[in-house]
Amino acid sequence: MLHLKPHNLLVQKTLTEALEAYNNGSPLTLDRIISDYDYTTLHITNDDGDKSSLLVSIRTKATQSCNETGSDLKGFLEQKFEEAPGLALSGDKKEAGYDFTVTVNLSQITAESIVQVSLFKILVMSYPFYLAFGQSTHFSQLNEVDQVEKSKEATAMVIKYRDDENIYIKPSFDRVTVIFETIFQDETDKVFGKVFLQEFVDARKRNRFIQSAPQVLFSHEPPLEIQQVARQHASTAADKKSSRRFITFVLFPRHYASDELMFTSISQLALFRNYFHYHIKCAKAYMHSRMRYRVDTFIKVLNRAKVDDEGESESRRTFTGRKMVY
Amino acid sequence: MSQSLRPYLTAVRFSLQAALNLSNFSSQEVERHNRPEVEVGNTSAELLLQPMHIARNEHEQVLIEPSVNSVRMSIKVKQADEIEQILVHKFTNFLEQRAENFYVLRRVPVPGYSISFLITNKHTETMITEKLIEFIIDFMEEVDKEISEMKLFLNARARFAAEAYLEQFVY
Repeated sequence: MLHLKPHNLLVQKTLTEALEAYNNGSPLTLDRIISDYDYTTLHITNDDGDKSSLLVSIRTKATQSCNETGSDLKGFLEQKFEEAPGLALSGDKKEAGYDFTVTVNLSQITAESIVQVSLFKILVMSYPFYLAFGQSTHFSQLNEVDQVEKSKEATAMVIKYRDDENIYIKPSFDRVTVIFETIFQDETDKVFGKVFLQEFVDARKRNRFIQSAPQVLFSHEPPLEIQQVARQHASTAADKKSSRRFITFVLFPRHYASDELMFTSISQLALFRNYFHYHIKCAKAYMHSRMRYRVDTFIKVLNRAKVDDEGESESRRTFTGRKMVY
Repeated sequence: MSQSLRPYLTAVRFSLQAALNLSNFSSQEVERHNRPEVEVGNTSAELLLQPMHIARNEHEQVLIEPSVNSVRMSIKVKQADEIEQILVHKFTNFLEQRAENFYVLRRVPVPGYSISFLITNKHTETMITEKLIEFIIDFMEEVDKEISEMKLFLNARARFAAEAYLEQFVY
């Protein structure tokens, strides 16, 4: 499991099962709560009385901040779901306690629309990215003076997708800068994280094959692009400042040249934190099992030193080799 | 094995052989007690022998504190950087948590050292002293090897993970 898939497998599986059961003439009764990364909860239920449609609701921490970055998150999602057959974002009729609800019409959906629903979380998070890509393309078409001016004026967008960790996105006329703020929970993670981050920075320089990947930088201080925005947020967590790291990805126009490229870039970036921390944990787990093995070999060496308590002369054996017990 | 490691280990081996000359010795102060004299605050100086300090460099040292019925031996494992520090700390911690399987391992190292062993006359009576020394020398060799291997592995893994992630952006 080197790479994480952007879509939620459980949602995909549930919907595929529901579709199969519906096609066989025995629709399933569903009431499932599914969790995803970054405090995301998805809820799949039957629409009241209507066996042919399902409701999929999402609640995620990122919604509020994504909503603030632009004017029309809902319209954006509506449009995304309309592209796939059998899906519709229920505008006002969303489930209580959830942010958005999609109605899935089982008589119309295809495999692609199931994937689209399982990408729900990524779609919500992708809204600010699309806005930034749009702005960047817009800036690049202005004349030279305006380009620089506008890029300077553009403010960084913030996605608050976890308790105390944010993603900042800053568009400019020739690039889009995505900055991850992350916190390491313990000292070991911090040191291991440093090794990993250093490799992220160096990977591009070392390996010619991945020269065209985004440039990666990391720092302890908020980078200049986001100092204005970060200061407002950082004040709340100044005490934990020492374990805070900023990882910058510089996306060049070739990473968002077409819709398809935009989407792959976004879905990979949205999973960066999970990927990064997952591999730190994996390294720790491996070290642990390795130490366990090493301890066993040491014990074996030490046991060689022990004197056998049972001298051969003291125990007597029967003809068949059994031991005599007195 | 590097050129300077061999004489270091040889020195440790001979010093241990000299120190591990223990006899049963009941406490002079408390009746019916028999305790490792090197561990208790001692008023009678004749029970403690001259400690031996062997240093390969400032990062790698061994302190052997002999007494009439016990020897305390502390090892300072090489810690060149932050990662090695954490790895050594984790590794020694791991061993100390399993100290009951190791008989001669001390649960807490002597201040300034990474790991300590306490060998009493009980141990030398139930174990072959030569083999015990063999174990400690083996341990010293393996720990260095293990730490540097783990460090290399961590770097390799980080490199692989980073490249695999960035490869996804190559269109």
